[in-house]
Amino acid sequence: MVQLAVQLGRLRLRNPIVVASGTFGYAREMTGFVDVGRLGAILPKTITRHPRPGNPPPRTCETAAGMLNAIGLDNDGIDAFLTRQMPYLAGLEPAIIVSIAGRTEEEFVEMARLLDAADGADAIELNISCPNVSGGVDFGTDPARCERVVSGCRKACKLPILAKLTPNVTDLARVAKAAENGGADALSLVNTCLGMAIDWRHRRPRLGNVLGGLSGPAIKPIALRAVFQVARAVAIPIMGIGGIATIDDVMEFLVAGATAVQIGTANFYNPTVTMRLLDELPEALAQLGAAGVSDVVGTLEVP
Amino acid sequence: MTSFQGTPTYPDHAWHGNATVLENVQIARATFRIRLASPPLAERIVPGQFLMLRLPRRDDPLLGRPLALYAVVPDASGRPHAVDVVYLIIGRMTSRLREVPAGAKLDVWGPLGNGFPPDEAEHLVMVAGGIGQTPFLSLGREFLGMQRYGKPPRAVPVAKKATLCYGARSAEFLAGVSDFEAAGIEVHLATDDGSRGHRGLVTDLIAPLVAKSPWPCRIVCCGPEPMIAATARIAQRLAIPCQVSLETPMACGIGACFSCVARIRDESGNWDYRRTCVEGPVFDAQHVVFDNEELGAPSAREAE
Ligand SMILES: Cc1cc2nc3c(=O)[nH]c(=O)nc-3n(C[C@H](O)[C@H](O)[C@H](O)COP(=O)(O)OP(=O)(O)OC[C@H]3O[C@@H](n4cnc5c(N)ncnc54)[C@H](O)[C@@H]3O)c2cc1C
Ligand SMILES: Cc1cc2nc3c(=O)[nH]c(=O)nc-3n(C[C@H](O)[C@H](O)[C@H](O)COP(=O)(O)O)c2cc1C
Ligand code: FES
Repeated sequence: MVQLAVQLGRLRLRNPIVVASGTFGYAREMTGFVDVGRLGAILPKTITRHPRPGNPPPRTCETAAGMLNAIGLDNDGIDAFLTRQMPYLAGLEPAIIVSIAGRTEEEFVEMARLLDAADGADAIELNISCPNVSGGVDFGTDPARCERVVSGCRKACKLPILAKLTPNVTDLARVAKAAENGGADALSLVNTCLGMAIDWRHRRPRLGNVLGGLSGPAIKPIALRAVFQVARAVAIPIMGIGGIATIDDVMEFLVAGATAVQIGTANFYNPTVTMRLLDELPEALAQLGAAGVSDVVGTLEVP
Repeated sequence: MTSFQGTPTYPDHAWHGNATVLENVQIARATFRIRLASPPLAERIVPGQFLMLRLPRRDDPLLGRPLALYAVVPDASGRPHAVDVVYLIIGRMTSRLREVPAGAKLDVWGPLGNGFPPDEAEHLVMVAGGIGQTPFLSLGREFLGMQRYGKPPRAVPVAKKATLCYGARSAEFLAGVSDFEAAGIEVHLATDDGSRGHRGLVTDLIAPLVAKSPWPCRIVCCGPEPMIAATARIAQRLAIPCQVSLETPMACGIGACFSCVARIRDESGNWDYRRTCVEGPVFDAQHVVFDNEELGAPSAREAE
């Protein structure tokens, strides 16, 4: 039997297959397709302190082997989340990692406190990397602010903390180290890459928000590079995210240095993808002679 | 399974798999009908619901495309066996779809969305613009008592009459007219260039039809947004119920991404962005805020 459980700081997952925030709704949406109980963890869509209507449509646009999105954190706020979504999520087998985004450090800390006091969350992911809301991304580009917001949340709650970082920086390892210094249990790499698409005939941007985040197979090499570089710079574990759709993708991220992976855009074009990955993972690990996931994490040999 | 207005429809048992293409034939200019073998889909889907279709084993185009149910095709023993979808060649996916031969397999998931509610309609008036005609063949058949849909089959009060008002650019784009006529649906046509039927807008046909009908009418509508908005205004003026099926661009079709939103009003008149794939695509016309309308205040959610 191949050992699938993984440890991310204080957070233990039954297996390394996790769904990425914003690509799996609040899990209920997916129950017709997926046995959600089999997942390693579920990351519901990012919540904010107060309700947000989100950006005007069009909110997404397909690009070559990928898509741009500018949803704008459309959500009903943390209070509605705790009353309407949490009771359902808390009853599910997988770990629930609640993704939060604040406009200020105080909002992040307040939400961390609220989640700590409520039942149901097994960990918190700080979305300090959403490109679609002004304010949010600053925490992910400025190492000093990144460290402050992570340590603020760490002090405010007992739950394990993951920091989700943006690839849209010059020196990702520096921001990653700042998050580690702030007390993050693990890092989630990466959020979307800032991009745009244009309809030249009408001289118009294709997204209502003009700019958006690129995701899907198109960004996989960028995400792999991010995981590889950061794994060498920090001691805490990493969740790899970006374009993962096949078991080969999963294995590449593990070998590059990720302890677990999050599946995002692939849920959209293959709603049962996570089940297939779970079916195929033991065999792929066995091919490398591994007794468990941890045996392959970060085993890349660089000549 | 089909809920209506405000309650998201999450399928308990959606089907995702490879469906074999049984045929893929041209039925009008740039318009094809493709038949997909999938008993689980065929037995569950109801009129107004849609499915997502994707060309397998390629990353370009990457995402599935939403396509409405056109018809459920029974096997020799009368059990639902396949679904027909009618598509217009628009862009990257549909231009490749036309090349797909019988025997090939496509990635398909569904049924999705709420579908048209099985409400009373003595005279069902179906208003379609362009490829927006696709949801109405199955709906007309259902209301005329010719075919039942869903598992278990849903009950629909039989209508005295079903009429299709169908507008297109020109006669060569009119698709499936004989299918509708064969189902006993009365068809009124309009074309922009007058090459067949009324010369002008399909919405011109509504008021005279309703005025002449001896029965209370209910309007259902699908097509380009300006045409849906015009139909909604006419229905409001005539004070008759009207449901519209919105075709907002979608990325997932299953409620996971929040990209397919439309502005939908609640009881107090405030609007909020709602996912058309799980809260629609069928909405009560009065609840939809159309593009050129005065927006009013967003609901309890904070204005950005
Ligand atoms: C619920 C629902 C049901 C639908 N049912 C049908 C159907 O039965 N038959 C059918 O032919 N089509 C239907 N559509 C529309 C269909 O999904 C699009 O035509 C299709 O996605 C086009 O894909 P493509 O790759 O060929 O075009 P793309 O390359 O994706 O797009 C080409 C151009 O068309 C525009 N476009 C794409 N989709 C839409 C849209 N929905 N509305 C307006 N502009 C759009 C794009 O912005 C682009 O400029 C439905 C849509 C929805 C949401
Ligand atoms: C439509 C969409 C919505 C997203 N929403 C969120 C979100 O709310 N919070 C978040 O942290 N990341 C969000 N993401 C980013 C994903 O979680 C993920 O980091 C990114 O898409 C890269 O992974 P992928 O290529 O597998 O999709 C979103 C991505 C997409 C495509
Ligand atoms: S298309 Fe993804 S939520 Fe509707």
